Amino acid sequence: MTSIRQMIITLFVVAVTCAIILSFVYAFTEPRIAETQAQLTLSGLEEVITAYEYKVIIPDTLWQAVDSSGENIGVVFRVFPQGYAGPIPITVGLDNDGKITGIRVASAAEGLVETPGLGAKITQPGFTEQFKGKTATDVALEQEGGSIDAITAATISSRAVATGVKKGIEMYGACLMPSCDPGIVFSDADKFVEVIKDTLWKAVRGSDTLGVVFVRVVQGYLDDIKFMVGYSAEKRITGISILYSQETEGLGEVIREEEFLEKFKIGIPEAISGATVSTKALINGVVKGIERFEEYIE
Amino acid sequence: MSRLNIFTRGLIKDNAVFVLMIGLCPALATSSTVRDGFGMGLAATFVVVCSNLIISMLRKNIPNEVRIPIFILIISTFVTMIDYMMQAFQPDLYRALGVFVPLIVVNCMILGRAEAFASKRSVIDSVLDGLGTGLGFTIALTIMGTLREVLGNGTFLGMTVFGEAFKNSPVIFMIMSPGAFLVIGILKALINKYVKKEL
Repeated sequence: MTSIRQMIITLFVVAVTCAIILSFVYAFTEPRIAETQAQLTLSGLEEVITAYEYKVIIPDTLWQAVDSSGENIGVVFRVFPQGYAGPIPITVGLDNDGKITGIRVASAAEGLVETPGLGAKITQPGFTEQFKGKTATDVALEQEGGSIDAITAATISSRAVATGVKKGIEMYGACLMPSCDPGIVFSDADKFVEVIKDTLWKAVRGSDTLGVVFVRVVQGYLDDIKFMVGYSAEKRITGISILYSQETEGLGEVIREEEFLEKFKIGIPEAISGATVSTKALINGVVKGIERFEEYIE
Repeated sequence: MSRLNIFTRGLIKDNAVFVLMIGLCPALATSSTVRDGFGMGLAATFVVVCSNLIISMLRKNIPNEVRIPIFILIISTFVTMIDYMMQAFQPDLYRALGVFVPLIVVNCMILGRAEAFASKRSVIDSVLDGLGTGLGFTIALTIMGTLREVLGNGTFLGMTVFGEAFKNSPVIFMIMSPGAFLVIGILKALINKYVKKEL
C-alpha cells in the first residue's frame, strides 16, 4: 500500500514534467505552425487573383488585392455557404468592376465534407472555371436563370456554390460598385475623403467638414446586414442605405423600405413589430456606428 | 518469449485491428486513403513506442493506485507533441486526420500496451513491443487505405490506377463509411480463414 503522500508527489512530478516538456515543444513548433497557416491562406488567395500584396480588411474573410505600384486591383473574400453535407469553404477573387477573377473551393483535405465523387466535384476546374468573368447577376444555376452549369447528381452542392458566391459579392463587393458611392447618403457634400478604406469617409464641402459617412455590418435575423449611414456635424442622420440584406421577405426586409429608412432622418425610430430582430439590429448598428465615428467630424 | 517474438507478436498474430479488434474507431475513420491510413498508423506508432519506453523506465516508481492517470498523462503528452509536430510540418495530413490525432489519447491499443506490457517489462522489450504493435496497426490501416483508395477513388497515393475511365466513375461507396466496414469485415474473414490457423 502506497501512502497518499507518495501518490500525490508522483502524480505532481509527472504532471509538471509533462507540462514543461510540452511548453518547449509548443515554443518550438508555434512559429512554424503560424507560418504554414499563413502560407496556406496566401496560396489560396493567389489562385483566385494575382496581386503583389493582400491587405487584410477582415481577418480570414476579406482582403484587398494590391499591385506592385500600390493600386487596388480588387478584393478577395471567403464564404462558407451550406452545401449538402456541411459548409463549403470558397475563396473568391473580384476585380474593380465586380467581375469574378477566379474562385477556389477547398478540397476534402481542407475541410470540404461534400460526398466524394459527387458533391466534391465542385472543387474541379471544370466547374469552378465557369465563374470567371461573371458578375453577381449571372451567378446562378442555368435552371434558375443564370449561366452556371450544375454538376449532374450534385445540384445541391452546385447551387450552394453559386448562391454563396453571389451573396458574397453582394456582401463584400458592394464597395466596388456604384451603389457604394457615399454621395447617396450625404447629398450636401461635394467631396468625400476616405479615412478608412471602404468604411469611413469625411463629407467635405469646400474646406468645411460637414459630417461623416460610414459602412457597417451587423448580424441580422437570417444573415448579416450591411448598410451605409451619413451623419452630419449637426448630429443628424442625412441618409441611410442598405447595401446588403437577406432578411425574411415581407417581414425583416422592411429595413430596405424607404418609409422606414426615412424615419432615421428625424430621429432614431422604434423597432417594428414582426421584424423586431432585423430592425433592432439595424437601429443598434446605426447608433453604435455614430458613437464610434462621431469623433472624426472635427 | 524471445525478443523477435515480442516484436512480431503485434504485427500479425496479435494484430490490434484484424485480430484483437481494438483501436477500430481511427482504423475505420482514417483509412479512406493510403496516405491518411499510413500517417495515422505512424502517429500511433510514435505514441505507443514513446509511451511504452517512458512507462517501462518509470515502472518501479509509479504507485499502483495511480498508475492509470499517470499512463494517460504520459500518453497524452506524446499525443500533444505529435499533434503540434504534424500541424507544423504536415499541415495537409493534419487537416485530413482532423480530430483523430488528439483522439489517439483514448486509443485503447496504446493504454492496453502500457498496462499489459510496459508497466511490467524491461525497457528494450517494451520498445520492441510498442514498435511491433504500432507497425501492425500501421500495416492494417495502410492495407485498408490501399483497398479503399484504389477501388473508391481509382488512385493509389494520388496516382491514377486502372486508367482515367475507372477514375471518373469508381466505386465511390468504398471511400465512404460503409466501405470501411466492408473492407475490415472481408479482411477479418480472410485472416480468420487463412492466417490464424497456421499460427
